[in-house]
Amino acid sequence: MEKNYDETFLARWIAGELTPTELEQFEKSPEYSEYAKINEGADRLIAPSYDRQAAWKTLREQTIEKPTTPTRKLFPVWGYGIAASVVLILGYFLFFSQTQYRTGTGETLTVELPDGSRAYLNAESSLSYSSNSWDEKRTIKLQGEAQFEVNKGVPFKVETAEGDIQVLGTVFLVSARTEFLDVKCFEGRVQVDLPEKTYTLNKSEGVQASGKTIFSYGTDLSEAPWLRQESAFESTPILQVVMEIERQFDITIGPKALLPKSSFTGRFNHTDVSLALHTVFDALEIKYTFDGNNNVTIKK
Amino acid sequence: MTDKPEDSICEEQVFENVFYQYSTLLRNYAYYNCGDTAQADDLVQKAFIKLWENCAKVPLKNVKAFIYKVARNYFLKDVAKKKVRLEYKKQHKPGAVVESPQFVLEEKEFEKQLNDAIANLSEKQREVFLLHKIEKKKYQEIAQMLDISVKAVEKRMHMALVHLRKEIKYFDKKR
Repeated sequence: MEKNYDETFLARWIAGELTPTELEQFEKSPEYSEYAKINEGADRLIAPSYDRQAAWKTLREQTIEKPTTPTRKLFPVWGYGIAASVVLILGYFLFFSQTQYRTGTGETLTVELPDGSRAYLNAESSLSYSSNSWDEKRTIKLQGEAQFEVNKGVPFKVETAEGDIQVLGTVFLVSARTEFLDVKCFEGRVQVDLPEKTYTLNKSEGVQASGKTIFSYGTDLSEAPWLRQESAFESTPILQVVMEIERQFDITIGPKALLPKSSFTGRFNHTDVSLALHTVFDALEIKYTFDGNNNVTIKK
Repeated sequence: MTDKPEDSICEEQVFENVFYQYSTLLRNYAYYNCGDTAQADDLVQKAFIKLWENCAKVPLKNVKAFIYKVARNYFLKDVAKKKVRLEYKKQHKPGAVVESPQFVLEEKEFEKQLNDAIANLSEKQREVFLLHKIEKKKYQEIAQMLDISVKAVEKRMHMALVHLRKEIKYFDKKR
């Protein structure tokens, strides 16, 4: 009888999902009484007690009662300057007017800008701006990836190492990583100034510059995929994709020299590292091993 | 992002309700995984602090998925594991049949062996088995918590039972 079980038989039995015939047969088998005893024993098990009240009290102190609001989770750089200000009173305006936000591995952050426009920062990214001159020119320096929701007003400019992006009022996503720039426009119009050429993006259009390869494309996204805990790619060099996996899951993937020169179109979810690796590497037929901890080894 | 503002987790009352709704299950799930109540309590704190920090971005309907994601990522890191120990409810038998000392002794022995056998299951099998038996979660709900298919949950449950039966020496005497 035991050999006739399928691989979910006992699961269905314990949940009361067997058909009457299946159940009748099972009850006649010699092992039935043993499984029944396990089930009855397990029915009497209880979890160790949990003091939810005390846990809530501690949590409250670390969240609601904490003075910083969630959108200002990371202190702007000037937050650390209190001790130094005694010495640097003269340099005050020059030194402290630059506001900076930075995210670590696997973190994202919502930043509210002085005019109420918003920036959502993806993992391992930084953004800075000068609040003094914000009223005349809304200029942001970006390293990494951020989605912007820009209120109408004076020109809004995002400066990156690879090129600048200018807009009036719109929603767009900028990904500025090492030797890589990708801009997607979700609302309004965006102008992307690359060293060689200027691109104007309308709604649902994107442009990607990776080294000397530059191309524009249509996108069906309507917001940054990582706001829904996903990463999505459009013919993106595999190295950029691998680096995004590292940023989201805090793992190391190597040796990168073994990565093929191919590109990847697709997406992965941020909830499961094994699944993400599987999705990307299997699609590209890259062999790898994952030690279940922090290291992924790419094989020849 | 279509939530009404009053449903936002950034609202203190909503956040508190969410905590009371999900914290016990999250904590027990963590305990079934690592066998350490202090670590499990700590994970609950971490998960909800992270939720608070992201309260503007996580719609109410995604809260469950969010905290379990944090929990799963936590277990991927180096979490020291201990043996899971569980208690038994006191048995109240209506009609108060007086049981022989022999029976009581055997029953105690069985309970101990079942506890040991559960502790020796793989984490994957144990969490499914206990979420179903103690937390009374349906396979569908467990699948969502662990972000795996219902079929995978059922397979783990099946294998958990097969292993428990093999492990429990009590049965050998009876055969």
